[in-house]
Amino acid sequence: MAEDRINRREFVAAAGSTLGALGLAGCVENDRVRAGGGGGLAGTIDIAGSSTVFPLATAMSERFKLTHDGVDFNLQSTGSGGGFANHFCPGRTDFNNASRPIKSQEQETCTSNGVEPVELTVATDALTVIVNNDADWIESVTVEELATIWSGEEQPQRWSDVNADWPDEPIELYGPSDASGTYDYFIEAILHGGESELTHRQDYSATEQDRTIIQGVEGSEFAIGYMGYAYYSENTERVTALPVDDGDGPVEPSLETAKSGEYSPLSRPLFTYPAKGSLAKEHVASFARFWLANATNREIVADEVGYVPLDAEQQAEQLATLEAAILEANTG
Amino acid sequence: MATQDRSSYAEGFGQVSRTVGTIFRYLLLASTLFGLVVLSILLVYVANDAIQPLTADAGWHLTFFLTLVLPTLATGGYLAWSNVDALKLGATTLGLFVVGLLFSGGVAIIFIEVLAPLVWFAYVIAFAIAVLVTVALQQRSRQIPFLPRFAIAMFAFYLSLFGFPGIIGGYVGLPQLVPSVASLILFAPIVPLDWIQLTLTVGVFAATPVALYASNISDRRAGLAMGALAVGTVAAAAVVGPAVFGIGPIPSVILASVAVVPTAAYVGGAAVTREQARIGLALPAVIVVGALAGEVLVDTLGYAGPQSWVDWQFLTSDHSGTAANAGLYPAIAGSILLMLTVAALSFPIGVGAALYLEEYAPDNRYTRFIDVNISNLAGVPSVVYGLLGLGLFVTRLGQPTGTILVGGATLALLILPIVIISAREAIRSVPEEMRQASYGMGATRWQTMKNVILPRAFPGILTGTILALGRAIGETAPLIMIGAPNVLFSFPSELSSKVSAMPLQVYSWASYFATSDFYQQAVPAGVVVLVTVLLAMNSIAIVLRNRYERET
Repeated sequence: MAEDRINRREFVAAAGSTLGALGLAGCVENDRVRAGGGGGLAGTIDIAGSSTVFPLATAMSERFKLTHDGVDFNLQSTGSGGGFANHFCPGRTDFNNASRPIKSQEQETCTSNGVEPVELTVATDALTVIVNNDADWIESVTVEELATIWSGEEQPQRWSDVNADWPDEPIELYGPSDASGTYDYFIEAILHGGESELTHRQDYSATEQDRTIIQGVEGSEFAIGYMGYAYYSENTERVTALPVDDGDGPVEPSLETAKSGEYSPLSRPLFTYPAKGSLAKEHVASFARFWLANATNREIVADEVGYVPLDAEQQAEQLATLEAAILEANTG
Repeated sequence: MATQDRSSYAEGFGQVSRTVGTIFRYLLLASTLFGLVVLSILLVYVANDAIQPLTADAGWHLTFFLTLVLPTLATGGYLAWSNVDALKLGATTLGLFVVGLLFSGGVAIIFIEVLAPLVWFAYVIAFAIAVLVTVALQQRSRQIPFLPRFAIAMFAFYLSLFGFPGIIGGYVGLPQLVPSVASLILFAPIVPLDWIQLTLTVGVFAATPVALYASNISDRRAGLAMGALAVGTVAAAAVVGPAVFGIGPIPSVILASVAVVPTAAYVGGAAVTREQARIGLALPAVIVVGALAGEVLVDTLGYAGPQSWVDWQFLTSDHSGTAANAGLYPAIAGSILLMLTVAALSFPIGVGAALYLEEYAPDNRYTRFIDVNISNLAGVPSVVYGLLGLGLFVTRLGQPTGTILVGGATLALLILPIVIISAREAIRSVPEEMRQASYGMGATRWQTMKNVILPRAFPGILTGTILALGRAIGETAPLIMIGAPNVLFSFPSELSSKVSAMPLQVYSWASYFATSDFYQQAVPAGVVVLVTVLLAMNSIAIVLRNRYERET
């Protein structure tokens, strides 16, 4: 190495002495030494489950986060069934959102893993049937026709197979996949309505993403699909919602008709299931309380997300359930 | 064809139709351009949606055209015409500064959100002390044989970082007898201010190459002076930043260390050594001055800029249910942390495997079998690696889903074959004559490896690794498979916290949110940020490779 190049040791010495002086120039008391438990809530909340409830859970956690900076949220959209089976019952999440009540089989799986779900109703949805904007040949649909279109037994291939007034064109079907609570609810309300025990047909485009359903229906004049109201309400220009006739004339899906119960049988409650064990943690309990306290908030639930808020009476009922569960979680 | 007519064969001799050849050539050109053109059109669309240049006032465009675009074009055009070397120098300077800015942003995020400066400071000092001990031992390499030296050095690192009996004792349940240097600093009653800690560590890291560079150009006095000047600049930035620009002291220090000091050193060095080309420095000067002048003019004249979705708010806020408030911050940080984990895991393993296979492995059917399989593994779809990560780390090892560690390990497995293959290429490109010459001088295999092969192959290895990291940063499928959350408001603070990443956030916005704002604006904005980061990484790799090729 050439004589006039810098020598590593010299450099370290020079740097060390100047920097040492610099370092001593500005010192503060080390706040780590007197670090204690700060006030406020801290912890992580894991939420999975229904894609229908996902936007609502996101909106609630976003607001909760504003006032409780120490709480971290992880939200996943997995479908109600997928969430119970893969996340909630194995004890990986604190909340599971669902767009249908928990099944007894899921309840058993959870219990055998020591997870106890607490059912909380958080909003009402109007499950919405959509068709293409150019489909002017269809004004409304009856529950029977819906059952025929989606039944695994009949599997009509053309619209004219369902109703002779409809065109002789192939039906394109878009719907949620079988991990979805919306799928389960649709079976419950339409295919299992009355005495019939039809199965849901499987030759349709199934997806866990409601946007894909809208895109599919938007792209084809002879397509039909169904999904939660919130996604429709954000895309009213792209697709048309079909009024559903349950025997008393066609009723348009809307927040009002869902609330009054006129939009039958497709208006349905939406749930979230906190694990009772998790409710013993203060931050989880206080988020659950926060969610219910805001479940009547029109601005969040209806305007931002697009579901029917709870009324004061429902809210009081759910709060009572929650408080009882929190009490049990903390004592037992 | 007429030219090949039999009757005129004699006259037409030597005249063969070129039509087929010409058509073939243009078909090749078309196939070359096809992918490029399609992708550029898409990117233009995406950039237009994200940045929305048309929403700006005409006056805004005119002002910036006059102050920035026109002078830049004029300077660039003049340089291209008169002195291409100068243009290259100007462009490199500009690129260095821009990439430095991007990286300083990333590093600043880490120091603000994840790693407390004090923790970093404590461990750097502890590490430095151990390194000094090792260097001192090295000086006595003739008196002490290798194994004891190695053992003492290892013990010095362990004692300095973890104390005694340290983490191993912690597992067995022994109480801590001797505190580590790191914990002594961490729990010292009085510590330097956090920006001073960073100046002492990050600033010195930045100043060291500057000092060596200056001493190479001139002499050691100049080197020391430049090093001191660099540290001084970093320290000054901590004071000037908050006072003048309203940037906090921590980001100011990082900005100065990662972007300003290296660029300034490069500019200074070029101005001294490359007299022919130094006129090229006018280009970045024109751009910086033009941008500032344009900004001031637009402000005073009151022209509104474009309503870009890629703005400060987008880069620094969390996800939100409304697209306008949504941001990429946790995803950016998640991507950075994932990259660090991936690099830390895949670099040593991959380079190690490459070195073994290239330099030590015998050429028999087992190594050929391994060879073929590594090439095949590089082509396995990423979703399969996601499945592997899920099966291996989550189900088998019982790790929680979607954490930085699991995500990073899965992505590291994904790029490992690519790292191995590119590292092998780099090692293979070291000329055989150099190895033979080294052996001829009596060097051992290890000495040849250490003194000849590794230094020579290192830039190539680094290039390959950076390009592989570029692939990892864009991967979505493995992260979905291992159950990374769709929405995360907060910051991953340790290896076991859940992580989101930029491509995953873009995917979530495109899939799970209903409003058209999300997929018409937030998604393009996310894509623009992601592509920018990727281009910055790739540009580093390309510059490294070019330098490397020029040297060989």
